[in-house]
Amino acid sequence: MDILEKLQILGAAAKYDVSCASSGSKREVNYGIGSTFTAGICHSWTDDGRCISLLKILFTNECIFDCAYCINRKSNDIKRATFTPHEVAELTMNFYKRNYIEGLFLSSAIKNSPDWTMEMLYKTVYLLRHKYQFNGYIHVKAIPYASLDLIRKTGFLADRMSVNIELPSEKSLKLLCPNKTKESILKPMEFITRVGEEERNFVSAGQSTQMIIGATEDSDRKIITLSQHLYKKFKLKRVYYSAYTPVNDDPRILKVEKPPLLREHRLYQADWLIRVYNFTAEELFEKDENLDLEVDPKVMWALRHLDKFPVEVNKASYEELIRVPGIGIKSARRIIKNRVFHSLDFDDLKKIGVVLKRAKFFITCNGKTYERHLIDLQPEKIKLQLTEKAAAQQRMQQLSFFDKEIFTSVITGEI
Amino acid sequence: MYNVFLYDGTFDGLLTCIDEILSTHINEDEVVIVEKDKYQPMFFDKPIYVTLDKNRSQELRQKVINVSDKMIFKKIYYCFLSESQNKETYIYKYIKLVLKHGKKVKYLYHDDVVNFVEKASKNVSREIGKYMGLMRFNEIKGGVLYAQFEPTNDILVPISYFFRERLKSFKWIIHDKKRSKLSIYDTRMIKFLNGMNLNASFSDNENLYQKLWKLYFKTMAIEERKNLKLQRQNMPKKYWKYLIEKN
Repeated sequence: MDILEKLQILGAAAKYDVSCASSGSKREVNYGIGSTFTAGICHSWTDDGRCISLLKILFTNECIFDCAYCINRKSNDIKRATFTPHEVAELTMNFYKRNYIEGLFLSSAIKNSPDWTMEMLYKTVYLLRHKYQFNGYIHVKAIPYASLDLIRKTGFLADRMSVNIELPSEKSLKLLCPNKTKESILKPMEFITRVGEEERNFVSAGQSTQMIIGATEDSDRKIITLSQHLYKKFKLKRVYYSAYTPVNDDPRILKVEKPPLLREHRLYQADWLIRVYNFTAEELFEKDENLDLEVDPKVMWALRHLDKFPVEVNKASYEELIRVPGIGIKSARRIIKNRVFHSLDFDDLKKIGVVLKRAKFFITCNGKTYERHLIDLQPEKIKLQLTEKAAAQQRMQQLSFFDKEIFTSVITGEI
Repeated sequence: MYNVFLYDGTFDGLLTCIDEILSTHINEDEVVIVEKDKYQPMFFDKPIYVTLDKNRSQELRQKVINVSDKMIFKKIYYCFLSESQNKETYIYKYIKLVLKHGKKVKYLYHDDVVNFVEKASKNVSREIGKYMGLMRFNEIKGGVLYAQFEPTNDILVPISYFFRERLKSFKWIIHDKKRSKLSIYDTRMIKFLNGMNLNASFSDNENLYQKLWKLYFKTMAIEERKNLKLQRQNMPKKYWKYLIEKN
């Protein structure tokens, strides 16, 4: 089988892996080819609008496991291929020097045994770092059940490692992944966290994980609560959510017509709120099991707590400001820096970057509201205004704006 | 009536020119700075040409950094690289503001001059950011990497410094086709050349890797999520000309 065919099979098999981050690495090196860039760089965008930053491939798609949602499961009759470490290294180097990619994202199905697979991943990364002196970004999967020693050796060569948690509950995992247990995922995850805290240059861009959304009945509350736990306990850098795209016809999986993209988007927003905005899962899910699909989770929270609003922009603390819908981390910082020099009015806020469309219901500037009586509005009315506008835009086919808002944040989750 | 100051088109030339203006006591509103080669004489003008003086430009650079910071100086430089109309005159006025207010110039976003420099420099740094990812190198005979682009702004210098870090052990050439400028890196240092063009033929490997990249690009798109509009938003058409995956 030639390299073109292998790339086609093993690239296609990896496209559902969500992570594309190539940022935040702090490996200390001063030799060789390439570098990592703190902010990460996107090198292209596919026809679905997702960015390509890393050469994302599987080492092999031959699998001894039989997970219900996975295209590569043992029981599927599909074309199989396996790279050699040398082939992956050559591809990476040649793509890298042409500036097609920022580095390598190497995942794999489990062939022969978990240890055999992990050993191959290790060999590939070793080759790249030592023979080719490659200094770009490398993200490697840690294979469940692989020996911790192999994972450790690999972690010293990688910028990031990840173990996919796959499903948000043990029950779902049992149902869909008969060969994986909770321990087989959490053990290596915990190991990577621990070594990362003890050793320098071990997985210096941190650890991430991924879960599938919509293939089981797990609620948003369950998902976000689990993420919160993963951030706290395992110090994960990111949890990625992947709206399930039906690839197998399996009765154990919920019927999915189309991948639930809007739900995935809301989860990223909620994730962002707990990771960056100091919200807790408990705050976001006081009553409901699921996030509101009509408005973003920050608006949802604000509408339930109108007693905390309006917030006076010229006096409020940073913590209060970042809870206002339409005011993000950047805007809040700018507000605080700027108001030292002069008090801010609504025009200033626009220039600073506050999205008044949402914020206007929740703030005052020097005691004044944006429009008269605006603050007296009822939650239902505010919600109606915010959603009707979006709906109208959609009807008028001004889709570009709406799309942008939804999809640019698919990856970042920024609100 | 305007006092028209002419400079040689280089950044250091502009700084020398501004330093000269600052040492006189002309009313700010009567100052215009124009690049020598782009100047069209007007009947009542009194054009004054200021020749480049590295010491003076260095002095002004240091003065600006001392009263503010490197980030603000970078903004000025990026604004200079932009194609904005009258950028030189705005840069002069901006430097005056920096010398007066120091770092706090950031908070004068109401001011037209500050606004202009912010916008122009943001535009430039955005384009640099895009090309960090979207520049495509081809391997030509002899193993040298060769990239062509036609940036809106004159960003060859900063982008070359980025690739010096990135591709430090390869020889490469970056070619701004719009301005006929080249940067050449020989694994030790970069040389910048003007008025150059280049024809090169691919190495034996090149076609294979272009084919592999095109195939990979197509393979990674998820059909169920197809969204060409979003693709164009992130990767506007102006970049496609030299993108292998888009040709």
